[in-house]
Amino acid sequence: MKMKKVLAAALTGLMVLSMAACGDSGKSSKEDTITIMVPPVTGTYVEDLQGWIEEYRKDHPNITVEVIATSWDEHTNKLSTMALAGEAPDIAEVSYGAVGTYVEMGVGVNIADYMSKERLDDYDQNALDYMTMDNTLYGLPLYITIQALGGNREMLEAAGADVQKIQTQGWTYEEFLEVIKNGTKEGCFGFVFANSGATTADFVSIFGVAAGISSNFTQDLKYVYTSENMLSLLQAVETMTTSGYMPNYSVEAGQRLVMLETGQTMLTGKAMPLFESNVKKNIAGKADGSAVEGTIDMEYVFLPVPTMANATESVYGVVDGLIALRNNNTTEEHLKNVCEFMDFLSSGERAAAVDNAVYLSSVCESGRKAQESFTLDQSDLNAAAVERAITKVIAPPAGITAEMNANAKTMMDETIVPKFQALLAGETTAQEVYDTICKDAKNLFGEENCASGWIK
Amino acid sequence: MKKINKKVHIKQKFHKEENISGWLFIAVAMIIFFVFTLYPVISAAITSFQKYKPFGSDWVGWSNYSDAVTSPLFWKSIKNTVLYTLAVVPMSLLLSFAISVMILPFRKKTQSVFKALYYLPGIASGVATAVVWLWLYDSSPSGIFNRILGLFGISSVNWLSSSKTAMPSLILMALLSSHGSNIIIYMAALHGIDNTYFEAAEMDGATFMQKIRYIVFPLCKPTTLFLLVTGIIGSFQVFMNAYMMTGGGPDNNTTMVGLLIFNNAFSYGKYGLACAQAIMLSIVIAFLTMLQFKVMGDDVEY
Repeated sequence: MKMKKVLAAALTGLMVLSMAACGDSGKSSKEDTITIMVPPVTGTYVEDLQGWIEEYRKDHPNITVEVIATSWDEHTNKLSTMALAGEAPDIAEVSYGAVGTYVEMGVGVNIADYMSKERLDDYDQNALDYMTMDNTLYGLPLYITIQALGGNREMLEAAGADVQKIQTQGWTYEEFLEVIKNGTKEGCFGFVFANSGATTADFVSIFGVAAGISSNFTQDLKYVYTSENMLSLLQAVETMTTSGYMPNYSVEAGQRLVMLETGQTMLTGKAMPLFESNVKKNIAGKADGSAVEGTIDMEYVFLPVPTMANATESVYGVVDGLIALRNNNTTEEHLKNVCEFMDFLSSGERAAAVDNAVYLSSVCESGRKAQESFTLDQSDLNAAAVERAITKVIAPPAGITAEMNANAKTMMDETIVPKFQALLAGETTAQEVYDTICKDAKNLFGEENCASGWIK
Repeated sequence: MKKINKKVHIKQKFHKEENISGWLFIAVAMIIFFVFTLYPVISAAITSFQKYKPFGSDWVGWSNYSDAVTSPLFWKSIKNTVLYTLAVVPMSLLLSFAISVMILPFRKKTQSVFKALYYLPGIASGVATAVVWLWLYDSSPSGIFNRILGLFGISSVNWLSSSKTAMPSLILMALLSSHGSNIIIYMAALHGIDNTYFEAAEMDGATFMQKIRYIVFPLCKPTTLFLLVTGIIGSFQVFMNAYMMTGGGPDNNTTMVGLLIFNNAFSYGKYGLACAQAIMLSIVIAFLTMLQFKVMGDDVEY
C-alpha cells in the first residue's frame, strides 16, 4: 500500500514536469529577465530605451528588462566591478577597446552562437571587426564615431587655411603647423587638445593618425608605439607646446569646447561632427542667456587630422556597441533571449535614432534604411568632410588577442600617458619619452613583438 | 557529597547561562567582524595567489607578489605614499595641536564655534571638496590661485600638471581640509589636563612655552600617539585625492599605493595582483604601527 502511494506521487510529479516541459517547446515563452547597463549614449538614450523595451515586450511579453543607467564617469569601473564579482549585466555598452578586458575575465560571450547568419549580415563587416577578438564576435556595433579636429572657420581663414580644401582633400602636418602658428594670438591658442587625465590617451590615439598610427598594433601584430612614427608624433607635440601654439597645461575635456566657443582657441580636439549642433545651440543661447559667458558668433568646421610626410592619411575611428556578458545566472536559453534583444536594440530604428543623435551614419543596413527619412542640421561641407573621414577609418588588424589588448592598455595607462603628460608640461623631451616607451614595451611584449623603424 | 555535587552543578549551569548571554551580547559585533573584516581579509589573501576570474580562477603561487615587487611603478607608488605621509601627518598634527592650544583660552561657546568651523570641510564629501580644489588649482591663467599670483606679477603655475608642483598641491589640499577631527581630539586631551599643574607652573614662574613643553606635551602624548598611528594608517590608504585631482599623474608622480591597487583591480581587472599589493600594504602598515608603539608607546597607558 505504502509502495503504491510513493509510486503514485512519483508519477504525478513526472506528469507535472512533462506538462511544464511541453510549455517550453517551440519558441520559448518562459519568463526571463534581462539586465542592461548603459551610460547616456545620447542625451535621451535612457528614456528612448524605456520606449524600445515596451515595443519589444509587445512581441515578447515573457521578457522583462531591467535597466541600470550609469554616468560616463562611473560606467567602466562599475561594469568591471560587477563583472569581476560574477554579477555582470547581461548587456552592456562598451567601446571596442574595452572588449578585451571582459574576454580576459572570461565573461565574454560568442554571440555568433546565438544569432542567425541573416541577422549578423545586417551589420557592416568592418564595424563587426571592431567587436571581434581571437576570431570570436563578442558584441554588436552601434556606431563608428570619427574623432578628429574642429575649428572656427573665420579664424582659420584669417590664419591662411583653405578650409574647403582641407575638408575635401586633407592637409599636411607642415600646413597645419603654419596655420596654428598664424592663429596663435594674445588670449587665443592656435590649437587646444583636451589632455587632462584619461583624455591624454585620446590625444595619443587621435593625433597619432598624423604619424600613420591607427591602431595599437601593426598589420603584422607588432606593438606600434615603439616605431619611429611614435617618435615623430612626440616631436610634433614637443614643437607645439614649446612654441606656445597650444597650452602647456592640462585642459579638461569640457573646457576645450568652451575655449572654442569663446574664441580662446582656433582649433580644438578631440572633435566630432556632433559639435556643430552643440556650437549652434550655444550661440542660439545668447538670446536667452543660456550660452557660455563670452560666446562668440562662429561657424564650426569639422576637419581631419593632418598627415606627416611618409604617412598615409587616416582618421581615428572608435566603435561603440553593446556586448553580451556572462554572469552567475546565465543559461543557454537566457543567452538566446539576450542576443535577440541586443540585436533589436542595435538595428533598425533604434540604431538610426542613436546615429542621428550623434550625427553619424548607421553601421547596419536596417539602420541606414531607417535614417533615410531623417535630415541632419549639418552644413554640406561638414557632411562631406564626415563622409570622407569615414572612408579613411582603418579597422584594427585581425588576430589581436585579449592578452595583447590588456598589455596595450597597461602600456597606455602606466607608461605612455604619464610620460606624455610630462612632455606636455615641458619636463622631459620627446626622445626621453620614446626611449622609456620602447624599454617598457620590450619588457612587456618582448622585443620581437615590437615594431621598429617607420611603419607605413 | 550529593549536596556538594548539586552545588557544583548549579554553579556550572549559572556560568553556562552567563557565557551564552555574554556571547549573545557580542554576537552582533562578532558577526560584523567576521563578515566584513575577517572574511574579506582571508579571501584577499587567497586571491593574491590566483589569477582571478569570476568563473574559475587559476592558482599562480607567488607570481602576483613577484610581479608587484619587480614593478618599478609599485615602488614609485610606495615612495610617493611615504613622501605624502611624511609631509602630511606631522604637519597636520603640529597644525592641529597649535590651533587647539590657541582655541583653549576662549569661552566654551567660542571654542565650539571654532571646532565646528575647522570640522566643516570634513562634512563635505571628498568628491565635492576635490571639485572645489580643482577649481582653485586650474592651471589656466583664469584659475583662482593663478589669478592671485597674477596680482603680484607672478606667471601662472601648472599646479597639477607639473611634477614639481603636483605633489605639494595634494599635500596642501590635505593639510587645509582634514584636521578638524584632530583638533577635536586634541581639545578633549587639553581639557583633561588638571589646572593645578598650570597653577604650580605659574607660581614657579614658567613661561608659556615652558608650560607647553613640560606639561602639555607629555600629558598629550597618548593622544599624539593615537593621532599619529591613525594618521599614518589613513595616509597610507589615501586614494581619493590622487584619483580625483591628478589621476596619479604627471608621470606617475602622484600615484599612491591605494590608487595603484584600485587601478589594478578595477581598471585592468587584475584582482590577484591588486590583492597581493593590498596584503603587502597591510604588512607595511602593521610594521609601522608596531614601530610607533615600540618607539613612543613605552610610557603610554590606555
